[in-house]
Order: sequence, then structure tokens, then C-alpha cells
Amino acid sequence: MNPNLFSLAWRETTRSAYWGKSLATNIGLGFLAVYFAVSFLLLGLAIPEILTKKFSEAEAVSKLNSILLAYFAIDLIMRQLLQKLPTVSFKPLLLQNIRRPKIANYLMVRSILNFFNLLPFFLLLPVTISLVGHVHSGLATTSWFLAIFFLVFSNHFLAIYLKWRFNEAEYGFFILLAGLAGLFAINHFGIVDLSGGLGKLLDLILIYPSLTIALIILPVLIYFLNVRFLLSRMFVNLVSEKQKAEKVSDYSWLNNLGETGRFIALDLRLIWRNKRPRSTAMMTLIMFLYGFMIYRDQPGKELPEFVFIMGGIILVGMFSISYGQFFPAWHSNYFSMLMCQRLKMKQFLLSFYMLVTVVSVACYFITLPYALMHTKVIYTHLAMLLYNLGINIPIIFFIGLYSKKRLDLNGSSVMNYQGVGASQWLGGLPLMIGPIGLFYLFQLGFGTVGGYIGLGLMGLIGILFHSVIIDHFAKLYLKKKHELIKNYKNS
Amino acid sequence: MIQIQDLIKAYNKEIVLNIPELNIEKGEIFGLVGNNGAGKTTMFNLVLDLITASKGQVISKGINVRESEDWKDFTGAFIDETFLIGYLTAEEYFGFIAGLRKMSKTETADFIAGFADFFNGEITGKKKFIRDFSKGNQKKVGIVAALMGKPEVIVLDEPFANLDPSSQYKLRKLIKDFAAQNGSTFLISDHTLENIADVSTRLIILEKGKIVRDVLKTETTLQEIEAFFRPVVESDLF
Repeated sequence: MNPNLFSLAWRETTRSAYWGKSLATNIGLGFLAVYFAVSFLLLGLAIPEILTKKFSEAEAVSKLNSILLAYFAIDLIMRQLLQKLPTVSFKPLLLQNIRRPKIANYLMVRSILNFFNLLPFFLLLPVTISLVGHVHSGLATTSWFLAIFFLVFSNHFLAIYLKWRFNEAEYGFFILLAGLAGLFAINHFGIVDLSGGLGKLLDLILIYPSLTIALIILPVLIYFLNVRFLLSRMFVNLVSEKQKAEKVSDYSWLNNLGETGRFIALDLRLIWRNKRPRSTAMMTLIMFLYGFMIYRDQPGKELPEFVFIMGGIILVGMFSISYGQFFPAWHSNYFSMLMCQRLKMKQFLLSFYMLVTVVSVACYFITLPYALMHTKVIYTHLAMLLYNLGINIPIIFFIGLYSKKRLDLNGSSVMNYQGVGASQWLGGLPLMIGPIGLFYLFQLGFGTVGGYIGLGLMGLIGILFHSVIIDHFAKLYLKKKHELIKNYKNS
Repeated sequence: MIQIQDLIKAYNKEIVLNIPELNIEKGEIFGLVGNNGAGKTTMFNLVLDLITASKGQVISKGINVRESEDWKDFTGAFIDETFLIGYLTAEEYFGFIAGLRKMSKTETADFIAGFADFFNGEITGKKKFIRDFSKGNQKKVGIVAALMGKPEVIVLDEPFANLDPSSQYKLRKLIKDFAAQNGSTFLISDHTLENIADVSTRLIILEKGKIVRDVLKTETTLQEIEAFFRPVVESDLF
């Protein structure tokens, strides 16, 4: 394509202060990538065996075809959550002698270089060779493979298109979820056999290989849909769009809480009025449903304890983890101003602490009905609530000391795709793995209930000493302020 | 009011600011001029303890800014738009700063009302976030916020830039009046020599990190600094 644009992107990444300092993130992502690749490979090797146990080889292929739609649906959701969008700061390019379509095409081509487009083939290749290739001719197998290939890329381009759309209207993701759930219901209750439809199409391709050519239309079509969308957005935002009056909600009652209240009001406005923290907060709401997934009873099997710890930390502490992992970078845009004010660093940290405490306690009560599924949730969640407030928040403060990257709140939502990839989930990992490890340690000595009491006690100690801890971090933050200011400037 | 002693800021051994000694008296409107890269913003950042000096110190009203935070009690500043909170309305932003500066609600309202002429009806009473303001209006918000609480030291980096001509005139008067009424010390930099020569009581020219001129303002100051910055044209030589 255009080598200039690629080298520009490369320099943008490598020359930000963030680069190279996020080694842990990169290692974590690499680990996840290897883990998923291996899992998919193993699954790909296992599928033929599993299917041929029940069906003849020919039947097995069409059985596989008929469940592929479900795979693509899940793939689409995962891509929404984890796949990163290609970006380019297009503004400086607009005035140069580069045609807009070129920038759009560049973005699309770069988007293809993504792990999510490689991953399916770990599964697909073994299946193609050891299952489909066994029963069908070389030509049929090849065209079948190509058909799936086209579908994978259709899904890729569709995911990107939706992501671009959702970025402008974040409720879109919920509509997608609802839509997919609706399609699932239609399919499940046999109103329209959607997955069977795709299955039949793929079966047909195995009989008439030339049909594959028709399928190529799909990715091409969605590709141009993307390009068209990008072209329509590749303008410096016009003022007229913004002239509409903003809905300004009043948080002045919080000022009655004194200095802490003032910062909590600031935090609330930050969350409500900026896209990125808002979607973070929204994620907390979705996560309330996560309990239905993990607390579901497996017949005849007791749920392992770590499920309850994971559940507790995610259901009660999701907000503190997802919002906290970017503390204090949420305030990075005006951090130097804050550092010129007579604000007490302690107040700044304390207000975050208070906000998270209030939200976490609220989450505890909202998720309490899960006790109807498992009574022990009452105390497992309580233990995790205490642990989260007493131990995880100090850890968040500690991680925040090393925050490097300025968060772009001010930029308009168009083309602002910072932190929409997998790495944003990664920061929370130690906060979740830590208590699981500790629990099993306590369990060795004091039994299962003792394990929860241990976690809860640890948290309680942290909460009792929160004032001392916050004092300590306030001093550390003041010491690091020059470095934070510098990092935020350079990223 | 502010003493600068032996101050050196270097990046990778390249010295960007070197001020052996400088005393800024109380009530002075201290004007700083210099070409790009002369070290103006660096100096202001050092006064505000936003960057660390390689050597030397800044003493503000007897307080070493590196060692104590008490200077914040009597200092207001506006360096650039990163001093603004983009997702607040102008009123909310003033309210936030007022809270930090321990101003009551009525005090704040009175104070802001005093700038109605400067705001020209475009800042307050708008349901619009600061991030959607024009550059000039953002600057106005920042300047007024820096004046809140009537601080004794006020640092403004290029306050005239991005302002329309009438606002520039208004700002000149505003700064002079504010200093006269409250006895505040101003540290101001700018590239428009006319503006800076008009408001300042003392002028300093920085070049490559060093002070090359330091004069109290007289009638002829403007001509002098203009002569300093004007490139030597051949026709002048003959």
C-alpha cells in the first residue's frame, strides 16, 4: 500500500513514552495469544475425533457446517470486546497530497493484520485436512476452505464496521447483543433454521465448488461499506455539529460533602461526559449478568471455590478494577493544573477511594440475589468486597504511580479508539488472580470457610488502615508528580 | 517576591535555561520575551514546580518550590489548555477552582461577574463544555481561573495569543488594574511586543536560555525591544 503511512504508524507507536515501558502488558498479551492459539489447535485436532464417534465422516462434515454460524456469532462478540481498531491521526494528513480513499484503504488493510484473523485457522486447518479432506475431493475441500476464509474476513470487516458505529453510539453494542440473542431464539425454537441454512450452503459448496466464487462478494461488500463510512467521517469536526446544548446535570449537592465531595463530583462528571470512562462504567452493568454464567449449576458437580472468588471480584469489584486501572490517568489531561492548585493529594486519592467504596457496596447489594442460586454468595461476596476495598485499591494506587499514558478524553469520539483492545482488560488480571492464590493458601491452613475469612480479614485490616495507606501514597504521588507530568505530555 | 538562584535546566547536557540570579519584586508585572525555544515556558514550569531543575532553585515568597507546597496558596497560573478540564462547563470549572481556593459561592459569582466585559457574553451561561470552546475563549477561561482567589503571584504563559484584537486591549487593562488593586506580582510572556511592553513594568529578554536584557519600562522600551528582535536588513546598513 502506502509505505509512508505504515512508517508513520510505526513511529507514532515507538516514539510515545508508553512504548517499551508496558512490557508486562505485552508479555500478558503474548501469553494470551499463545494460549488461544494452542487451545484452538487442540480443539481443531479434537473436533474430527469427537464428531466421527457419533456420525459417519460425511455426516460429520455437514454437522460441523451446521454449527459454524454459532461460531461466527461468538467470534463477532469477542471481536467487539477484544479486537483493536486500526487508527491514524488523520488530521495532519488531510492537507497533504494524499487522497482520502487512500487513507481509508490503508486503515482497512492494516486492520487485517490482526491476531483475530489468524486464530480461526489454527482450528480450521486441522479440521480441513483430517476431516473434510478425507471425504471430499481436493477441489471441494479447497473451495470449502476458501468459503470459510471469506466468511472469516466478512466477520472481520463486519466487526470493524460495527465497532466504528458503536464508537459513536455505545448503546449499539447492547443492540447487537439483543439482536444476536433474538436470532439465537429464532434459531433455537426452530422458527427459522438459520444455522442449518448456513450449513446447507456449505454442504452445497462441497458438491458444487464453483459456488465459492459467489461468497467472495460478502467481504468485498462489507469492505466497501467500511471505506464509505470512513470517508464520510474523515473531516475535522465541524462546529455546527457541536452547537447543540449539552445536557448539564447538576452535582452541586455533592459539594456539601466538602473537599472529597468536590472531587467525587468531578469523577462523576468525568464518567458521565466522556465516552471512554462511560463505557467502562457501562461494562460494570453488563458484568452483573456474568453471575448467571459462572454460578450456573453443573448437574452432579460442586462449583469449585475459585469460581466464587472470581465471581465476587468481578461482580462486586468490576468498577474499581476497570475504572481504577487507569487511575490517575483519567485526570491526565489537566494533571499539571491540579498540581498547581492547593489541593491535597490526600483528598484526591481519598475521593477516588470513597467513590469506589460506595459503588462496590452498592454492587454487593445489587448482586446479592445470586444468593438464591448459591446461599454462600452472601459471605463469599462480602469477603471479596472487603478484600477489594482493603487490598486491591492500595494495589491500584500503587499501579497508578507508574501510569504512563495520557488518556484522550477531549478528542471527539470519531477516530478516538484508545483503549478499546484486549490490553485494557489485562491490567485487572493481577487484581483477580491475587485473591484466588491467597484463598488457596488460607484454605490449606484453615479450610474453605477459613479461606474466605482470611481474605475478608486481610481486607478489613486494609480498610481500617486506609487513612494511613492513603497518606503514604499521597506522599509517593507527590514525589512522582514530575514524572507523571512528563509521561502524560509525551504519550 | 520570587528569587531565582543559579537555575539551570538541561536536557541531555543541552542547557535550555541558565539564570544565575533574578529577583522579581512584589507588585511587578514581569514581562518575558524571547524567540521560540528561548526558555520562557521552561522558566514558568520551573517556577510552578512542574518540571525539576537540573541545578539551582526558585524561592517564592521565601518558600523553595521544590521543598514545600505552600507556594500554591498564593499562586495562580495558566500555561496552556492542559490547565483546563475539557468536560466541564465554564461555570463548573470556575466553581471547581473556587472550591480549591476556598471561595464562597457568592464570592465566586461576584468575581466572575466582574469579567463580563472580557467574556463578551460568550463564556458564561452557555450549556457548552470547555472542550467545545474556541481557542480564544478557552484562554479567557484559563486566565480568569488563574486570577481566582486574588493570588499574590500569577503566572500567565502567552495570555494574548489566540485572543481577538479587542480582547487583547481588554486584557492589557485587566492585568494592569488587577495588579494595581491587589498588588499581585505577574509573570507574563508573549510574542506581541506591543502588548507585553504595554502591560509590563519590567521587561526581560531571554535568548537561548540566558537573560540578555533586563530593563524597567520607560517610554522607549518598545522601540528598544523591537530593535532587538528586528532582523538586520541590508538597507539599514547603508
